[in-house]
Amino acid sequence: MPYDLARLDRRVKWLVTCLLGTFGLAYLFGGWMVWLYAGFTPDRVARTYAEPTAAAAPETTMVMEHAMSMSAFDAGDTAEVHLVDTKLLVQDTHVHVPMYGVIAALLSVVVLGLGVSPRWGYAFITLLFSAPWLDFAGMWLTKFASPHFAVLTVAGGFAMGLGYTLVAVLALRRMWLMPVTERTNP
Amino acid sequence: MNRIFIAALVAALHITPTVVLVKREDAVKSILPTATAFTAREVHLSGADAHRLHEALDWGPDDGLLTFYTGRSGASAVGALTFVRVDTPHGPLEVAVGFGTDGAVLRVEVTKATVETKAWVLEGVRSGVLSGYAGVKSGVTANQEAVARTPALPGGPESYRGKVGQMAGFMLEQIDKGVRRAVVSYNWFYRTSAG
Repeated sequence: MPYDLARLDRRVKWLVTCLLGTFGLAYLFGGWMVWLYAGFTPDRVARTYAEPTAAAAPETTMVMEHAMSMSAFDAGDTAEVHLVDTKLLVQDTHVHVPMYGVIAALLSVVVLGLGVSPRWGYAFITLLFSAPWLDFAGMWLTKFASPHFAVLTVAGGFAMGLGYTLVAVLALRRMWLMPVTERTNP
Repeated sequence: MNRIFIAALVAALHITPTVVLVKREDAVKSILPTATAFTAREVHLSGADAHRLHEALDWGPDDGLLTFYTGRSGASAVGALTFVRVDTPHGPLEVAVGFGTDGAVLRVEVTKATVETKAWVLEGVRSGVLSGYAGVKSGVTANQEAVARTPALPGGPESYRGKVGQMAGFMLEQIDKGVRRAVVSYNWFYRTSAG
């Protein structure tokens, strides 16, 4: 295959490096945001996407009153779990899936220049595209089937991170660290 | 490597982090400045009442529970307030709505927004539109459909159209939705309940 990252014009190598760096930067700041505002467990993901179970309503409206201190209002300031309802999930899917597709496609183009065997090429490309599929499948199944499917979303997230990391490391190595051997035409 | 994994989770979670614009305690002090003691009144809605509220506003509180806070100074009630969450396509808002002893709105504060909506909400708040809610009373028992369609703000969106940006205007509409929920809930379930 004539397309090989190692043989690219240095300006194109720089373009690919900048692209990978930009994706990495975006991921790092995204990770920081999750660290600040959310947890990383399937349980937290389930609380974000699963519809809360409605409490049984009383037969007649009941009123209860109790005294409270001013400081008790502070409890309401703690960060709430952000529930993604069905409408928001429809919107999220609509907005994010195309972008994930573009990112997976760009990384797949990089994969094609890694010089790996066709089998590994298929594996990488499948990983890059299946990670977001897994991610969103987990969200929808968590909402409508069982909160246990949150593990799929977590797995999808890890798979996206793994895919990006592998492609970035291999591509940078291929472009900048491997000696270019001249191709000889028979 | 860990950061990359964490980052991948971000994309998975699509979090819209909540931002506290005004602490609840500060909102309470601002709305009911003379109150020195508080009671929380928790109204657990029956299925029929929850349905009635949903029919009127296309909304119901989480777990069918409305919570109102009555402020007192000595033995006298000085007013009440409630916090209402509004889920927008850009994440949730929380609105604090206070009422005087005559049932009219005293003051509205936006207590929470999200990272995404904060700038729009603040633009809306700084426009001074929220002061227009002071004194609002609602004929909420008349026509449920009319309640759902009529903005709580006198003059409706026309009163701020052109004065704020498009997204700030959208956020003011969401805030109005929260105020409407508070006003209807207060009139139906606070004023009519014992206490």
